[in-house]
Amino acid sequence: MSDKADVWQGTLALMVLKTLEAMGPLHGYGIARRIEQTSGDLLSINYGTIYPALLKLEQEGYVKPEWGVSDNNRQAKYYKLTRAGRKQLEKEAREWEQTTAILARFFAPAKES
Amino acid sequence: MHIRRLRALAVRLIGLFSREKRERELAEELESHLQLHTEDNLRAGMTPQEARRQAILKLGGVEPTKENYRSQGGLPLIETLVRDLRYGLRRLTKSLGFTTVAVLSLALGIGANTAIFSLVNTLILRPLPVENPEELVSLSNVVENRAFPAFSYPNYKDFHDRNDVLESLIAYRFAPLSLSHDGVNERLWGYVVTGNYFEVLGVKAALGRMISPDDDRLPGAHPVAVISYEGWQKRFGADPAIIGKSLIVNGLSYTVIGVAPKGFFGTEIIAAPELWFPMAMQAQIEVGNSWLDKRGTEYLFVQGRLKPGVSMAQAQTALNSIALQLEKEYPDVNEGKRVMLWPPGFMSGVMRSALLGFTGLLMVVVAFVLLLACTNLANLLLAQATERRKEIAVRLALGASRLRLVRQLMAESMLLAIFSGAFGLLLAYWLVGLAVGFKPPIDVPLLIDLHMDYRVLIFTCLISLATGLLFGLLPALQATKVDLLSALKDETSFGNTRRSWWKSSLIVLQVALSLVLLVGGGLMLRALQRAQTINLGFNPQNAVEVSFDLRLQGYTDARGRDFQKRLLERVRVLPVVQSAGIVDLPPVDLHFSRGAVFIEGQPPERAANAPRAMTSRASPGYFKAMGTRLVQGRDFTEQDDEQAPPVAIVNETFARRFWPNQDPLGKRFSLGAPDSPMMQVVGVVQDGKYAGLNEAPQPYVCRPLLQSYVGTNTVIARADTDPQKLLAVVRNEVQQLDPNLPLASARPLSERMALPLLPARVAASIFSVFGLLALVLAAIGIYGVMSYAVSRRTHEIGIRVALGAQASDVLRLVIGQGMMTVMIGVGIGLSAALLVTRLMKSLLFGVSATDPLTYVGVAALLTCVALLACYIPARRATRIDPMIALRNE
Repeated sequence: MSDKADVWQGTLALMVLKTLEAMGPLHGYGIARRIEQTSGDLLSINYGTIYPALLKLEQEGYVKPEWGVSDNNRQAKYYKLTRAGRKQLEKEAREWEQTTAILARFFAPAKES
Repeated sequence: MHIRRLRALAVRLIGLFSREKRERELAEELESHLQLHTEDNLRAGMTPQEARRQAILKLGGVEPTKENYRSQGGLPLIETLVRDLRYGLRRLTKSLGFTTVAVLSLALGIGANTAIFSLVNTLILRPLPVENPEELVSLSNVVENRAFPAFSYPNYKDFHDRNDVLESLIAYRFAPLSLSHDGVNERLWGYVVTGNYFEVLGVKAALGRMISPDDDRLPGAHPVAVISYEGWQKRFGADPAIIGKSLIVNGLSYTVIGVAPKGFFGTEIIAAPELWFPMAMQAQIEVGNSWLDKRGTEYLFVQGRLKPGVSMAQAQTALNSIALQLEKEYPDVNEGKRVMLWPPGFMSGVMRSALLGFTGLLMVVVAFVLLLACTNLANLLLAQATERRKEIAVRLALGASRLRLVRQLMAESMLLAIFSGAFGLLLAYWLVGLAVGFKPPIDVPLLIDLHMDYRVLIFTCLISLATGLLFGLLPALQATKVDLLSALKDETSFGNTRRSWWKSSLIVLQVALSLVLLVGGGLMLRALQRAQTINLGFNPQNAVEVSFDLRLQGYTDARGRDFQKRLLERVRVLPVVQSAGIVDLPPVDLHFSRGAVFIEGQPPERAANAPRAMTSRASPGYFKAMGTRLVQGRDFTEQDDEQAPPVAIVNETFARRFWPNQDPLGKRFSLGAPDSPMMQVVGVVQDGKYAGLNEAPQPYVCRPLLQSYVGTNTVIARADTDPQKLLAVVRNEVQQLDPNLPLASARPLSERMALPLLPARVAASIFSVFGLLALVLAAIGIYGVMSYAVSRRTHEIGIRVALGAQASDVLRLVIGQGMMTVMIGVGIGLSAALLVTRLMKSLLFGVSATDPLTYVGVAALLTCVALLACYIPARRATRIDPMIALRNE
């Protein structure tokens, strides 16, 4: 796996966690869709990539899957944020904000000097 | 975070076992995803087909998604490994014959290596059962570059008191014992040790207490003993009341104060004494031989414990400066004496090189055999892999990576190696059991504690894996280096000379190796045969020997003389006995004595340059009982006693060397010192062997026991009856005279030959067994390669037969090809054997290391076996039907 993919996976995981926090339990399709919408359709992802990411989060204990029934009466696997997941999300969100803040300073037009 | 990773890993590991369920769930989940998406698409106004198609497209394809999911789900590396192993197992069970041969031959190799390694482990690797064994060093005296591990007590004391590099210094000595308890008399071995012995070694009592410095103050005043745990179990049934009990040892009563811990037998690896006594009791243990105050009597083994931070070299330098002082202070006994340090455990280095040499040789031999087994398997696997050429080519063409294929082939050989390792371990276990059961024919309690510990297990695992790599990797690499085009077209590549070169060299190697081993075995067998015809100077058949030590039983000289006289009288009147006699040192034993000879009228320039002769002391009738021929003069008589003038009997070499062309009878000489009493030669006996079977004829002197009493005796009795019956009656006579006298040995005289022949017998068995094993392996190897060659040349032979070749032509073709290789191997093997067997010279009893009979015989044997191994596949080749062979292509 290349480093780039790693970064993408990490970001994707963060997006998944954030989505679940905002929307409550949701199935894979719903999550993928929501991520696309939230990005204002700037991000176009292969929906398939969501599943390995979900599996990884499940293995790490951040999400918990459960079979349920969708609005239009379809069987679907719903993913729910666990407590550990919530904590992880807080932590990662904080880190992310820090990183972007630092980067923002680098890219901001120089005011002094 | 790390805990989360671990958790994920654990879940994935578990995932390995629930693959099917996961697959099913994934399929359902993706299906529900597609349906949800399709419905959305329909709502957006697409046609049903288009809706479904777009959903799949957006997903990125169902199968690729599953594939990505899977690689996150389990552990792909392990999954392929498991699949490879399962595949390998299936292939192995399919060709059961091949698997059996492979596992058996490898198991033999691994088993032999494991067994020998457990010996190395015991001798070299396993630490002594004492505290911080790595700090212990053994001291050796060195005089003119000759090391001898013996010190006098006064010198030990001085080294002990003056040095500042050793924590402390201990000294000990082996002593033969005669133990009486509960009406039983037994002969065994013990140690006399300095009072600090147990303290310095850090050995704590299993029961009671150990000997302390307080038990070693006044000579003769501390009659206490420590018993070994094993002796306590064996002789006293682990009775806890042993503490405080009295044992009679060498005629004196000792109180048992403690039991040593289990498995502790002192610091010599292979000796197992049962009792320890304080050094202060030395004179009482070694009855009538007190030497603690004699600086010239060097009887003690000495060991020290290095101070922290002091190296062996530094300690040696410091001790040598003390040796220099001692040389100045006592020049008459300490002149030129230096000290050398060794690792402990082998009688201070004396036996070290010999033992290491022997085990080294064994290691080389078993490594040879394992190498043979490996090359053999490599050959068979290579043949198999080449049969799979087409399959491999197809898979390569379809895009399988070479690494992947090599891994799969390796899985198979690793499986073989693991099975063989397991079998080899069992085999080694059995072999070690056999070895432990073997008692060498010497009168010292030897202990080779060959249990298999974790080091042995690790060793076995490592060599199994190494062999797996060795015989698996090369064929796997070769097999996957396929020229796709020709392989797929099913062409047999006649021109592939490199591979057949490599295979032939394997055969050459095997033939050469087994030839070297077989020549070694053959030479040893010839040597043993030759040993039967060696002129021993006595007849070991139809006689028995019974040994005892009167001194240890507290006999005074007068009582001892009386005992010897009465015993001989009693034995001689037995109706079956033809002749009987007593001797102090029987020939070809571990113990022998050599003395300086001063011939009347031929004074040597200096006493130190006097010629030396083997010496012993015997009663009248001894030579007759031994079957030694009296060449000239007379035997000793009862009249040759203390009152009579000293007399001696010499052997032919003695007479010839000192009085060439003269009548030796009546000539006079003295033994030991120029001013010792002169002895007159009254008889000459035939030459014989005295110290070992390999010695050149050497001068020998025998004095009458009556004129020079000694209490260490062996009775020899000769009769034409069954030796066991004779032994029973002679032993009975000894025990009637003194029921308490322990016997050091009681056996047929012929068993005396077991000791001098032991090294040759051991070498002969080892070489022969491994040689035959190697021969069998080589035969399998040749057979395998030739069968393979025939199957590869089916096409060619078919054409030849179609063109009119006869069966005999085909036979000649195939056998010729095989035997060519074999003959090269025989040539190389013969040259190698000529080099290697030179090292065995000392074991050969005069058989030449280039003995032509052995070389020709072994070469012929090997050629015959090779011929047979080639013949079977060649016969198969003659039965090739050209029609079938040609259609096959």
